[in-house]
Amino acid sequence: MQAVQLLKKIFRQRDRGQIPFAELFKRFQDILEKNNAAMELIADMDGKMGGDFVFDRKYLSDSVRKLKELVLANAYDLNFITNNQFLAIYDIIEKLAKELEVELSGQMVIRETRRIYYFHEIDEGMEDTVGYKAYNLSKMVNLPKIDFPNGFVAAISCYRDYLAYNNLFDKIASLIEAYRKEEKSVESVSTAIQLMVLGGDIPPNVRREILNAINKTCHGKVEESYFSVRSSAVGEDGEMSFAGLHDSFLNVRSGELLSAFKKVLASLYNPASLAYRLKMNLFQMEMAMPVLYQTMVVSRTAGVLYTLDPNNPDRPECILSGNWGLGMVVVEGQAAVDTFYVSRHTPHAVTNQKISSKKWMLAPLKTGQARKVPGEIQDKPCLSPQEAASIVEAGLILERFFKKPLDVEWSIDESGMLWIIQARALKVSHTKHTLREDLSDVLKAHRILLKDQGMIAYRGIGAGPVRIIAAGDDLTDFPAGSVLVSRYAPPRLAEIIPRASAIITDIGTTTGHMATVAREFKVPTIMGAETATQVLKPDQLITVDAERKVIYEGRIEELLHHQLLEESAFEVTQEFQVLRRILKKIAPLYLTDPNAPEFNPRACRTFHDIMRFVHEKAFQTLLQTGSNPRAFLKRGGKRLKSQIPLDLILIDLGGGISREADSQTHVSPDQITSVPMQTIWAGLSSPGTWNMDPIPVDFKGMMSSVTRTQSSDALGNNLPGVNLGVIGTDYVNLSLPLGYHFTVVEAAVGSRPENNYISFRFAGGVTDITRRSRRATLLQTILEQAGFKVHVTGDLVNARAIDLTDKQIRRNLYLIGRLIGFTRQLDVMLKHDADIERYLAKFINQAKPPEEDQPSNDKEG
Amino acid sequence: MSERLEVLLLDDEPIVGKRLKPALAKIGCNVEVFEDPREALERIDQKDFDIVVTDVRMDEIDGIEILEHVRQKSSRTKVIMITGYAMMSLARKAMEKGAFDFIAKPFKPDELRRVIARAADDLGLSVDFGTGDDNESNI
Repeated sequence: MQAVQLLKKIFRQRDRGQIPFAELFKRFQDILEKNNAAMELIADMDGKMGGDFVFDRKYLSDSVRKLKELVLANAYDLNFITNNQFLAIYDIIEKLAKELEVELSGQMVIRETRRIYYFHEIDEGMEDTVGYKAYNLSKMVNLPKIDFPNGFVAAISCYRDYLAYNNLFDKIASLIEAYRKEEKSVESVSTAIQLMVLGGDIPPNVRREILNAINKTCHGKVEESYFSVRSSAVGEDGEMSFAGLHDSFLNVRSGELLSAFKKVLASLYNPASLAYRLKMNLFQMEMAMPVLYQTMVVSRTAGVLYTLDPNNPDRPECILSGNWGLGMVVVEGQAAVDTFYVSRHTPHAVTNQKISSKKWMLAPLKTGQARKVPGEIQDKPCLSPQEAASIVEAGLILERFFKKPLDVEWSIDESGMLWIIQARALKVSHTKHTLREDLSDVLKAHRILLKDQGMIAYRGIGAGPVRIIAAGDDLTDFPAGSVLVSRYAPPRLAEIIPRASAIITDIGTTTGHMATVAREFKVPTIMGAETATQVLKPDQLITVDAERKVIYEGRIEELLHHQLLEESAFEVTQEFQVLRRILKKIAPLYLTDPNAPEFNPRACRTFHDIMRFVHEKAFQTLLQTGSNPRAFLKRGGKRLKSQIPLDLILIDLGGGISREADSQTHVSPDQITSVPMQTIWAGLSSPGTWNMDPIPVDFKGMMSSVTRTQSSDALGNNLPGVNLGVIGTDYVNLSLPLGYHFTVVEAAVGSRPENNYISFRFAGGVTDITRRSRRATLLQTILEQAGFKVHVTGDLVNARAIDLTDKQIRRNLYLIGRLIGFTRQLDVMLKHDADIERYLAKFINQAKPPEEDQPSNDKEG
Repeated sequence: MSERLEVLLLDDEPIVGKRLKPALAKIGCNVEVFEDPREALERIDQKDFDIVVTDVRMDEIDGIEILEHVRQKSSRTKVIMITGYAMMSLARKAMEKGAFDFIAKPFKPDELRRVIARAADDLGLSVDFGTGDDNESNI
């Protein structure tokens, strides 16, 4: 086997030289072009997630087909220039394409059938695998102010394995048949099935995996832990229809965790559930029972929140009921409870309350039994006004996210912390606000602050106080429920998006990163509204109608209600769900680090990954065609002639160098016509940037460099020791093994911001790892301030900026140019951590970018 | 309140009718939605519509046939074609055959509303875009 591999390698190496450079070059250009086309297509599809477009299946299948063609063509080009080094890509593309085809047909892709899923592992469209209860919980994982007990779900495959292991499928089917033929009653069929299910054995692998997950969930402290074990039903509208039909077990201890699993499975066949399913014809296929395990909250007070009064949904009030101890008595309506009416408006004041004499409660933990409420607290409210407000606040965050009135089970533990147990849709009676026409009078009473400006990135209605975020503002105290208003749409704002009730930016696109995140968290968003930061005032209460692009003064409760009670939100249409699912296999970029060992075709999970992989490998192939400057000069490369002692060879992809230099072997900087290269050069050659003095290398630094491996290895590229710039009118790929450093810059300046990007990688340097890490920290600080997304591993810096306006990309490229010069041998200087600050200040104080219109306070990238 | 526009909307993709019906109702249209071209043709024979919005490409009967049928029955009715983005030649053909305008999928409901407003204008009718929009003091 090894011999064959070796032969193949030798064969390849011999062959490689045979592809003429001109051909290789042309293919590389092709790859770049198709890459851009594919990225535009992906951005276009992603933009459709905002709900502002009407699209159909044809659009989806056409887009996927075109995308596949582009990706395939690129894979072909790459394999052509590398003598089929990456044949595995074809399999990956085919596999992805097949999965996409199935998604497009509206069927569920058969996913890996794992038995256990933790909440963060539950993906879009897995409701049939983990059941609705677990699915809804998994959606809340990233929401602010929402905490729910740790746990996992024993998925549908556990249920199936259990039935198969105990030979129950046929037995159950024949009993059901007997009921259908009216030979047996529901009760007797139900009893018979439940007895069979309870009497079965759990298959060893299921048992092992459940116990393992339990162990993990309580960090090994199984003996001291209590769990809730509950049904997570699968089926149409699961949560709503089956509410209360299945069993839940609270306070389950280690010895009973597996029998509770059986009990929950059996409850699938209790008479009420069985009758309901038979009536709804939901049998066999749809009938399955994932089981949800969560740690118990040591509950001081627990209860239920209705985010609207079901019988009077037009009132801006929530209904909150609770009792001491575990919440079960409230859910089942057994005992006296306290009821609070709480305003939906901040600060969520309690408008009315009925405090009962609560004689009985379910004790938390240990017994879980009903017990007498101690006399001194029987007549006291079980919640403070602050607690009521915080429950309502959390409920409204969930309501905004699910876009439905909700029924939320909550619990407050002994330390006063709020836990969400579950949330499901609340059925409300008809409301007078269901028709839009009814709203015109209400809307007329509100002043319009902005209208018809910008584009909708995500449809919906949001309201709250204005919070204008400027560059450098601390984001940690962004108040939940505020309207995020910003001049730009820099990636760093992504972290506060889940807390915003709506978003408005002056500048930005519906296909950028921020818009994508806004859609993920379902935050109504208008991008590019031009004057929002001027017109809107901090703390001003506004309502954002991101359906008709109107921003009103004040909070228009009727409009918010209207959205909540609307028949069906656009996201529930099948086309949206299909788009959402296919985008997961298309748009995300997981392969961000070309130096990682995972940077290979097998690791490509999306079309975007494949495009990225092909691009990177094609570039490396181009570079590997020569190991010294002469090799590239011979092929039409031109040496850059300048004052800066940097031996840089430029290869023109077309439009990168002025035609007047056609016959020359040298070019001067002013003959560069590549926009990004020009800008980088302007930065690099700005006064004071390139340190001309010899750098003093101290002994310690020098010695450690002796034992260092070649720095380009750190970038994993095996690139030649030639400073090479591959440039086109709007493209640059600079590869600079400067001394002991290695810098790779790649940038494209597209016609639209969504096609713009800069990637910057930096590694190596004479001196020990501590100093190199200091330099990495310095670079990270500078780049993050400029709006880059930066990833540092050791002394390796990986930075990326996307979705930049024309001005931003120029500014950032200029900055990159300066960084290349500035950090050239900086690591040697960084002797102490304190030096980082000093050099940071020095860098910032040096020559400012040349543009006159640079506002100094908007570094947002 | 102006008179309501009678609109027939035909697209074999259910999503289109589902999304457009409420959007058009909001500007004062009475919308009848069809997914089956045959049923739509029957309905066109029964009732005079102000505006017919139809997809160009459908499996059994294409939008051009619908257009011809409508034009035969009444030259007053405005026909708006919905086309896929790769169907520009068909769109041109439709315009030659007397379609009022066409709109390429995917599109925003607002874009269609605008075309409908123009068609209504042509018919001497008006569409009510107003839901508080008159209050533009601060723009």
